[in-house]
Amino acid sequence: MISRNRAAILTAVILTVVCAMCAWLRIKYTWKPVWAHGSGAWRLTYDTSFSSAKGGKIQIAIPDSTSYSRIFQETFSHQGIWVDLLRNKRTRGREASVVSMAGHKRGRFFAQFDIYLKPDQQSKLPAAEEKLSANDRAYYLRTEKDFQITSPRLSDIMKQLANQQKTKTELLSHIFNYCAENIIKGEKDTFSDAANTLEHGIGNTLGRARAMVTLCRLSKIPARVVAGFILENTQEAQVHYWMEAFSPKKWLSYDPENGYSAQLPITFLPVSRDSIDIVRGPDTLICQSRYSIRRLLPPNSFVSSKESRLWSIVDLTRLPPSMQEIVSLILLLPIAALITTIFRNIIGIQTFGTFTPSLIAMSFIHADWRTGTIVLFIVLSVGILARWLLNKLQLLMVARLSIILALAVLCMVLAVSVLDYLSLTPSASAVVLPIVILTMMIERFNIIAEEDGLPNALKTFATTILVAACCFLVMKVAWVGRLALIFPEVQLFNIAILLLIGRYSGYRLSEIWRFRDIT
Amino acid sequence: MVRSGKLHFWSWPSELRRNGITGINSRNIDLIFPLNPRSDYALVDNKALTKKLCESRDIPAPETYALIQRFGDIKRSIDLLFGLSSFVIKPTRGAGGRGVLAIASRRGNEFNNAKGEPFSLEQIRYHISTILSGLYSLSGQPDQAMVEKLIEPHPVFNGLTVSGTPDIRILIYKTKPIMSMLRLPTKLSKGRANLHQGAAGVGIDLETGITYGGVWRDRSFDVHPDTGASLGGVTIPRWRNMLTIATQLSCAIGLQYVGVDVLLDAEDGPLILEANARPGLSIQIANRCGLQPRLRETNLKLGLS
Repeated sequence: MISRNRAAILTAVILTVVCAMCAWLRIKYTWKPVWAHGSGAWRLTYDTSFSSAKGGKIQIAIPDSTSYSRIFQETFSHQGIWVDLLRNKRTRGREASVVSMAGHKRGRFFAQFDIYLKPDQQSKLPAAEEKLSANDRAYYLRTEKDFQITSPRLSDIMKQLANQQKTKTELLSHIFNYCAENIIKGEKDTFSDAANTLEHGIGNTLGRARAMVTLCRLSKIPARVVAGFILENTQEAQVHYWMEAFSPKKWLSYDPENGYSAQLPITFLPVSRDSIDIVRGPDTLICQSRYSIRRLLPPNSFVSSKESRLWSIVDLTRLPPSMQEIVSLILLLPIAALITTIFRNIIGIQTFGTFTPSLIAMSFIHADWRTGTIVLFIVLSVGILARWLLNKLQLLMVARLSIILALAVLCMVLAVSVLDYLSLTPSASAVVLPIVILTMMIERFNIIAEEDGLPNALKTFATTILVAACCFLVMKVAWVGRLALIFPEVQLFNIAILLLIGRYSGYRLSEIWRFRDIT
Repeated sequence: MVRSGKLHFWSWPSELRRNGITGINSRNIDLIFPLNPRSDYALVDNKALTKKLCESRDIPAPETYALIQRFGDIKRSIDLLFGLSSFVIKPTRGAGGRGVLAIASRRGNEFNNAKGEPFSLEQIRYHISTILSGLYSLSGQPDQAMVEKLIEPHPVFNGLTVSGTPDIRILIYKTKPIMSMLRLPTKLSKGRANLHQGAAGVGIDLETGITYGGVWRDRSFDVHPDTGASLGGVTIPRWRNMLTIATQLSCAIGLQYVGVDVLLDAEDGPLILEANARPGLSIQIANRCGLQPRLRETNLKLGLS
């Protein structure tokens, strides 16, 4: 017995070590950027010289890695200044904070950023959903000097837009269409503020971005201007302006000048959000900035796609996005099973079957939880009702379960049809997966109801849902799924924990309640 | 209803350990896995096989009138039932007393169960066919039906019985009885003598065969929850004999940690009902005492560490 425990612990330790080693090897070797057909590397150079009042603090916005681009190398050099790298508190964008050294009237900031762009298919990953605090929402709806206007022309435009309005998303696309079609592209020296751009129907790139931000904010859509660069070979790179609108749960990018909506090409490199100046400082600042962009040859530090072919087998992030979603869900199943095991063997809560809670949680992730809950209640009530009715007929079990399945399907299809009639069509997968899993659960429910009575079956049902909810909450956390996908070796660690639980012979938590009367 | 002892809501693990309580994880890992080889489960899972074993070893068990294995056998068995006035029909793989039909009396073509509810021959035929098609076997696989002699509960249990038949669970560890309890069906358990279905349990002193303690729904109880009769102080007749046949069966099966259920018939005395390879742990509450001291004692007696 002791030797079995020892063997289990030893295996668990070995698995943990192997897991850690795999993760380490992965970080060391497979996370080199891969150079594939369609990849690009660019060098963005900042050359800023300035003279500033004593003690004046200057912020220089610098690019950051995104889901589709990566800064694989950066170098800074500076004269007569202190440089500190910070993050903007509100936008989380990177900034170089520059302070003049004592005795230096002039300073120079020089920086090089080598940026790697992933092949294009990856850029189509949707922007991550985020939450905007009430404070931030108010901030991005504010009116400021260059945005505020109260002209009859503007109220005309707003009225015109309001007439077409249905949802916020539709309104946003109307605003974009207006700014892209009805405002003429002006030269650099034409209007750069929202008021004049809208009033005269002509503006430069900044004017058009500001015009769209203004219209969004007046329509209660949080919005901000973005300053950045378009990556192309040029000695004198111009700062390009576009805008982002928060609708309904994430920031979407719009470029009225080039006509891109909701999704920009990956060559658009955002640098500064909610501020049009790349270099910001006190009013006394006299500054001269030059930016240049140059295409790079594939750097040596990159792995060629040919070389990486074998390694890529263990790199699940190379899979197409739709496949990644499914794979990470599957990889989460054993983790949900671990949660169920903890509940059953350590806490001592009974569930229908070992995997039912994990499967319910998975089906709820794949569907959305609202549709899932509706399906759950329909299937359960049909199951109980049908059981009660069919018990009187004394049918054989398989036939009875098949009838329950048929009735549940009928009710579900009816419910889907009703929802569709109310223009609330749920997605197909939202219906299929829960119904299959829940009908399986009905079978177990009925077996327990028959053996131990309906109250016990309802109790087990409630605990199954409780455990499923815990699994759901863990599986729902985005980084857990991402982690499981990036490090599939985590499963070894999972097995290690399961081995230890499998040899745990101590009391279950429920037993300090069950045996309370003996002591 | 009278509960005994003062009300408390939990016992700390250290208290449970001090009392030698075996938890379910420990039962599985320390007792069932090492002592009960999976291959021997078949003998206890199928009541027909258990009974065959009893017959071959001359261990007393209720007389079998018929074993119905196929649908084709039903008609022949029904003919046989005509010669009987009382019998029990049960599935061989049923668990927790499901699918058991006890016929207590008969008038012409009408049969009555213990409560006096009428059953026609057609209903009995239907019941047998549902057993064969697996309605009562777990996971629904096809099953067999057994027709047995109906047990007449010993009069000693009169005040303690509302419906169903009480039985005696004897826990046997490495051929030695280590703990036992009398299991009493209640209204809640619907006549079944299964503790987790709501039957009451009473500890039995292994030396004297006198009952003491008591459990109902995992709580200490001193009286029968339905009749109010005192649970303690009942002397089980033919106690030594009962321990002997239970031990004989456990040796015959080969499982080293097994719960043997014994019935006490008014005429035939102790009879084997069935054996269980995963006996429950509520027996500890019924006896108000943990299993571990008894396991240790037995190991000492057998000269094991």
